[in-house]
Amino acid sequence: MRPEIGTILGLTAQRIVMGLGEQGAAYAQGSAGLIAILLSASAKEYERGADIRFTENAEIRALFSELAPSVKDVGLRKELQDAAAAKDKSLRISDLNEGNYVLRRLLTKLQIDAEEHGARDRRQRIWAVLKAMAQRRLVQLGP
Amino acid sequence: MKELEDRLCIYLRAKLGAPDLVVTGLSRIPGGASRETYRFRAQYKAGGKQLDRGLILRRDPTASLIETERTTEYRAYEAFFKLGLPVPEPIALELGSEALERPFFIMSEVENCTPGGIMSPDPYGPHRQKVGEQFYSIMGKIAAADPGKVGLDDLEGASVVNAAAMHELARWEKVIEEDEREPQPIVRAAIRWLKKNPPPPAQKISVVHGDYRSGNFLVDDAGNIRAILDWEMCHLGNPLEDLGWAIDPLWAGADPARPGGMIPRAEGIRIWEEASGLKADPKELLWWEVFASLKGAAIWISAALEYADGRNSDPINAFSGWYTLAVHNNVLAERLSELDA
Repeated sequence: MRPEIGTILGLTAQRIVMGLGEQGAAYAQGSAGLIAILLSASAKEYERGADIRFTENAEIRALFSELAPSVKDVGLRKELQDAAAAKDKSLRISDLNEGNYVLRRLLTKLQIDAEEHGARDRRQRIWAVLKAMAQRRLVQLGP
Repeated sequence: MKELEDRLCIYLRAKLGAPDLVVTGLSRIPGGASRETYRFRAQYKAGGKQLDRGLILRRDPTASLIETERTTEYRAYEAFFKLGLPVPEPIALELGSEALERPFFIMSEVENCTPGGIMSPDPYGPHRQKVGEQFYSIMGKIAAADPGKVGLDDLEGASVVNAAAMHELARWEKVIEEDEREPQPIVRAAIRWLKKNPPPPAQKISVVHGDYRSGNFLVDDAGNIRAILDWEMCHLGNPLEDLGWAIDPLWAGADPARPGGMIPRAEGIRIWEEASGLKADPKELLWWEVFASLKGAAIWISAALEYADGRNSDPINAFSGWYTLAVHNNVLAERLSELDA
């Protein structure tokens, strides 16, 4: 999720220190409202951020493991098998992101391969994972 | 703020030929992340009358949500103000940096109105029918306008009907290429689908507002739309682009069947067709709906990068990177998986 929480907290603190009220009450009120929403969302992201990434990485690896045998391109098949066997370095957000970005890029390659070879079942299996990823990353506003 | 007020006063005295002009009450207001927006009053004599006008200053920021041309926005206000559509009256455009450090323009303030909040479940209350009818009707009138006759036929965009869709797709794909910092497999799949399933040529080349949606217009207490705002992404193209954007699920709030919390989608499309004299073929409109979510994703990716890089710390940019991008990714995943079934 970009920007990451660290960036949001840093820039928000800077904005508050610089003085929200200097540009007028209406603008300060609008900014304060948005900052409140952002901080509330950040609290939720702090709680679930590692879990989202860990789960997503595990699901993509399981997908690669399942679909790799049916991929005809030898190079891509090997990439998928290697990625499926890899592990996240740690549960730090930065490490989980590093692995996630590699997996997401490879997921696009796999999807293009499925599209080019008319593999409907494979395409639907990939969409199921993509839909789950999108659902999981939706941000719930409010309490 | 006092220094800005003084400089604005000096500028307007010269611009309006009113040496007695006084500027008061300058204050910044929330008004989108692409420009700094300020409200103020100007008291001066013109034509033998003493005027007291509410005005709006829109100044370029140091970085913005979308790299846009303030000239485009100002010219759109000029063109559609003359045509009699509800837009603020344009007053002055300044492209130099001498007066207020950055380029800016000034327009009239449309007073005693509010924008409908896009997060509100029922932003227009008892006026939802009246507001909705005007919303689609005005959009149709923009589509019906002849770009040459309103003086906007040199705007950026496609000038021929069979290029409109791919021109816009290429534009937003480029933004994604340049600003994507984490891989976006759903967005990439959307680009491929849009390329593989091009729509038919546009029925005509129109002025496309570019951000026509709930939240970008002002309504008075009686439910009259008094001003269509935020024309900075205005361009030439397929008029269905605005319709697809206006009915995007992001603006639908609690009820996807009533985009923007207004009238039912089918009724809105019918009103748009009547006002524009054009057809909204469902299959063709579907392409523009997928495109709308892709364009949204591109804007949010770009905004998130500006925030993450520290170029624009407006919290709306962080909000875009989190909330709105996630919504559009979800909309695209649902739509594209159905289309691929």
